[in-house]
Amino acid sequence: MSGTTVLATEGTERPSQVTARDLARATATRTRRSAHVKLWAGAVCTALVVVPVALANLLPLPGANAQDLSRRRLPPLSEGHLLGTDQLGRDLLSRILHGGQVSLSVGVLAVLVSGLIGIAAGAAAGFFGGWIDAVVSRFLEAQLALPLLMMLLLVVALFGPSVTVITCVIAVAQWPEVARLTRSLVLVEREKPYVAAARVLGLRAWQVLLRHVIPNVVRPASLVVLLLLAQAVLLESALSFLGAGPQRPFATWGRIISDGQAYITTSWWLVTLPGLVIALLVVGVNLLGDGLRDRTRRRKGAGA
Amino acid sequence: MPTYLARRLGQSLLTVFLTLTTVFLLVRLAPGDPAAAYAPPSASNADLARIRAEFGLDDPLISQYWIFLRDLFTGNLGTSYSFHAPAFDVVMDRMPYTVTLAVSAIAVTTVVVVPLGVWMARRADTKRELGANVMTIAGQSMPDFWTGVMLLTVFAVLFPVLPASGFTTWSGLVLPTVTVAVLQLALVSRLVRREMVSALTSPYVTVARSRGVSEHALTWRYALGNSAVPLLTALGTRFAALLNGVVVVEVVFGWPGVGSLVVRALETRDYPLIQATVLVTATLAILVQLLVDLAYPLLDPRVRLGKAA
Repeated sequence: MSGTTVLATEGTERPSQVTARDLARATATRTRRSAHVKLWAGAVCTALVVVPVALANLLPLPGANAQDLSRRRLPPLSEGHLLGTDQLGRDLLSRILHGGQVSLSVGVLAVLVSGLIGIAAGAAAGFFGGWIDAVVSRFLEAQLALPLLMMLLLVVALFGPSVTVITCVIAVAQWPEVARLTRSLVLVEREKPYVAAARVLGLRAWQVLLRHVIPNVVRPASLVVLLLLAQAVLLESALSFLGAGPQRPFATWGRIISDGQAYITTSWWLVTLPGLVIALLVVGVNLLGDGLRDRTRRRKGAGA
Repeated sequence: MPTYLARRLGQSLLTVFLTLTTVFLLVRLAPGDPAAAYAPPSASNADLARIRAEFGLDDPLISQYWIFLRDLFTGNLGTSYSFHAPAFDVVMDRMPYTVTLAVSAIAVTTVVVVPLGVWMARRADTKRELGANVMTIAGQSMPDFWTGVMLLTVFAVLFPVLPASGFTTWSGLVLPTVTVAVLQLALVSRLVRREMVSALTSPYVTVARSRGVSEHALTWRYALGNSAVPLLTALGTRFAALLNGVVVVEVVFGWPGVGSLVVRALETRDYPLIQATVLVTATLAILVQLLVDLAYPLLDPRVRLGKAA
């Protein structure tokens, strides 16, 4: 919005036919504006979910696992229960916020782990080529053909639905995306003169990779992180929905929905509200990721 | 071309084989006793031990694996513990349902995605397009099980116009299809938009425009023609992923497909059934991707299969 006003003052001094209105309608301005809108909308949606979840322990809420069988399935806006209560008389808002702490930490941790594996594997494959590339590429291909959710369910059945296991499982599901991107970035980067210069100066291949190539690809590669976080939250909730999510200390979002499914005809809020919270968070994170990507793409386009 | 095909088929066989081996090991490492699921509730410990011996579950892992491979090459995937029938037949009984759902979801996606994506590209970054763009982001952000339950509540419970679960009439196909298609729509329409935007701003389009080619032809023949390969790739990948099991949606709608079969097979530790499912779905998914690759030269004469790009 501020961009438009700046353009307007410039427009009055400009002795050309191009008016401020034309500039405001130009593709570059529109792209910038829509990236701006996405960033803001994304930040607001994300904050609406993340801030209450982060503050869950400070808010005056009933305990997430405190049952009160005399106050079962109260509708939202009941006294003392903003979002109502579930089939065991537990406060739904408290359950959503505390469950969200588990869901979000699983998501963030999973993205960190998959980012590390993905960048390491992708950079090695792209930089060294040869058999390393062949092995990594085969993994990336195989992963496309695998019945992913089924494998995840299997692994969770094997090691039990603890937070650690779920985190690792999601990270394993996601690293190929980072690896594919990093590999393609490194393939471009390794042909640049500074790499040759570093080699001539006597650095070993892995030193060049670690000190010079990776720092140059981490920024663009980390842009997918937000999109991956959105996917991780969805994946975790799907696993929880199928009964393979973490149970302790608090039920996560998918589990709350699957528990509430039996009461859908009489107590709509048990399914609708947790789902809305997931959707709000994931929309927010996706919008943020999308806006950031648009913004860098525009910068790159302008610089070229 | 024949060499290319042979190499691709070889790679695919290897992938399927490695997948099967991984699954074989994983299910056997997992805790849980298949005999308990097979035996009647009143079975004694001796009965359970007898069943385990009958299934060969007491043998060392390596000899179980050897028997599994031997049977695999003779086309025998074992007998399902819980269905008491050949595992392959059980899976093939369910397969048509999953294929029906996948085909109808991809068909809906294709029909909607092309006009939507083209419109979004032509109107890129206008207010309305921004709205549509945000809608597609929302579409890819809703958990599919939640969308499913919501659709069920509205169209089967509050206004009972469509059946809630199972597949007895064709109208039962509507809700699962919509649920699956929402995500596909969001993903693929964004891809079409991206491809079309870059095609429409590329120099050859400018040249064609300056030579008086109509906007209609520019959009639909020039730009869309050049976006066909990525679009087909995306649709193929999505279709293959759907064949691998729309597990969650099938569970929500009680759809009698492979996805809900898998969940049940995992719960009862039905090893042969799990293995048969993985074999069938992975093979199908790989075949679809191979067909997509083979179709590239038909869409884009610049593509030569088997040559490095």
